Amino acid sequence: MCNTQGDTPIRLKRRPIAQSIENLDQLMNLEKGRMSRDLFWDRDIYEQELERIFARCWLFVGHESQIPKAGDYVSTYLGEDNVLIVRQKDGSVKGFLNTCPHRGNKVCFADLGNARQFVCNYHGWAFGIDGALKGMHASETYEAAGMDKSEHGLHPVAHVDSYRGLIFATLDPEAPSLAEYLGDMRYYLDAVFNMDEGGTEFIGGCVKSVIQCNWKYASENFVGDILHAGWTHDSGAKAMVGGPVAEVHKTPEQSYHVNFNGHGWEFNQDIVGNCATLGEKDLLKYLYVLQPKVAERLGELRSKMIGAISSCTLFPNTSFLPGQNTFRTWHPRGPGQIELHTWTFVNKSAPQEIKDKWRKGTMMTFSPSGVFEMDDGENWEYSTRSNAGFVTRQQDLYLGLGHDTRVEDTDLPGNVFQGQINEANQRAFYQRWLDLMKADSWKTVPQRDVPKMKEGV
Amino acid sequence: MSQPILLLKRADLEPGKVRKCEVGGVALAVYNLNGTFYATQDGCTHATASLSEGDIVDDDCIACPVHDGTFHIPTGQPMSFPCEHPIRTFKVIDEGEDVLVDLDQESDEAADAV
Repeated sequence: MCNTQGDTPIRLKRRPIAQSIENLDQLMNLEKGRMSRDLFWDRDIYEQELERIFARCWLFVGHESQIPKAGDYVSTYLGEDNVLIVRQKDGSVKGFLNTCPHRGNKVCFADLGNARQFVCNYHGWAFGIDGALKGMHASETYEAAGMDKSEHGLHPVAHVDSYRGLIFATLDPEAPSLAEYLGDMRYYLDAVFNMDEGGTEFIGGCVKSVIQCNWKYASENFVGDILHAGWTHDSGAKAMVGGPVAEVHKTPEQSYHVNFNGHGWEFNQDIVGNCATLGEKDLLKYLYVLQPKVAERLGELRSKMIGAISSCTLFPNTSFLPGQNTFRTWHPRGPGQIELHTWTFVNKSAPQEIKDKWRKGTMMTFSPSGVFEMDDGENWEYSTRSNAGFVTRQQDLYLGLGHDTRVEDTDLPGNVFQGQINEANQRAFYQRWLDLMKADSWKTVPQRDVPKMKEGV
Repeated sequence: MSQPILLLKRADLEPGKVRKCEVGGVALAVYNLNGTFYATQDGCTHATASLSEGDIVDDDCIACPVHDGTFHIPTGQPMSFPCEHPIRTFKVIDEGEDVLVDLDQESDEAADAV
């Protein structure tokens, strides 16, 4: 695998693409709203996802506010590949696989911090924050062997870029730009990550948990499933706010599903619906006072999204909730397990007591012991585990809601559907999944969605 | 006693900074610790590394840029893993704007150390 091209050593070495699983098209019939359960159980499908989804897509790796200074780093995952995301002396951000190119041990065991170098515990290979191999224990012996240090730095990720403070990385040198990848979803991202001119920040630490479910059950829930809230979360809502979840299925005229490139956002226009579930009146006041200013910045529609009943997934495995302010990545750990990493985001310019209330709110609702997270985890675990049954896993699943709800006559970017009780986004998510799984490279991934936004915004 | 050799002008090195100087065929790391200048050998005693590429930490220690081991700048003594052997220090002579070094003598602090 030690391929080189010309004089430049390619340190991100890739195998030629593996042969695809046969008959992928038979896994779903989205027109009819039918889908196979193999997506959530089959080990070969999972291995192909690691290659064609996680080693190919732009994945969220951190928020700019986590690594403000040179040497600041976070350790995270691109699929199951552990990477270090490091602020450089020139202010740029680089990413490397967290593995020593000598014998493969991890070079960093902390989740985040500040480093002058990363030193491997095994033989003392030492790497600069730029990934270059700077030296090693018993360096004379390597010098005697004629080893060229410049050929043995940490393996870099292919690209790192950011949008509105959110940093993404891809392991595929052929990936489109981040702007193209996010496409028109950037219009909606601004409603949350650019509602205030000071931008957002992550506060507190990362809360991690393990859920025994397939990663797609979590991603597709946040991409468009508000339907479950009125049933699954009824008791949680009554505990937090003293009443049931709003009956959003009765007022589809004021809510939408929008999607682009498999990313999706379901949203109402009630300004504070999600936020209300945290049970903190001061947070509602904060949003109500901010809303007219957001309307000036971004227009009426997006100003009503800032804390509304809504959820979003950025394909494939990063999601967030406006108003509840939880931001999360569902890292895959085999077909039947995820490692969930969550953070709390807030507007940087918000008063400290407002930030503290949001942090408390996310802990009460969307942490491992949070009233809503526990509801979801149990559902996703049994949605996954039931497929252990040989006959059970041969029964199709249904995702056909909202087939005739496409809104054609609109200026809104992306694919727009009327009514947030819908499965349009879920179908778009799985269509993108299928497109990527079938494609040998980015060049052959069909561009189904036509952007209205310019690439460089 | 050999002739002191000019290292640099005081103004050429800010407080809290270190830089490499080659004099008389010897590579030195020269430090400005709050206005007091020091000089040591530039090479780390543990592995191949140029100490002048490291950072000054804990007020008066140099952290090796490779394994982050530290030496006490005034005395040259090793302070933390993996540094075990002291670095050579050199006597720095302050003459107004000029900073000079005597390659035959240790720093006063190293000479005073038991």
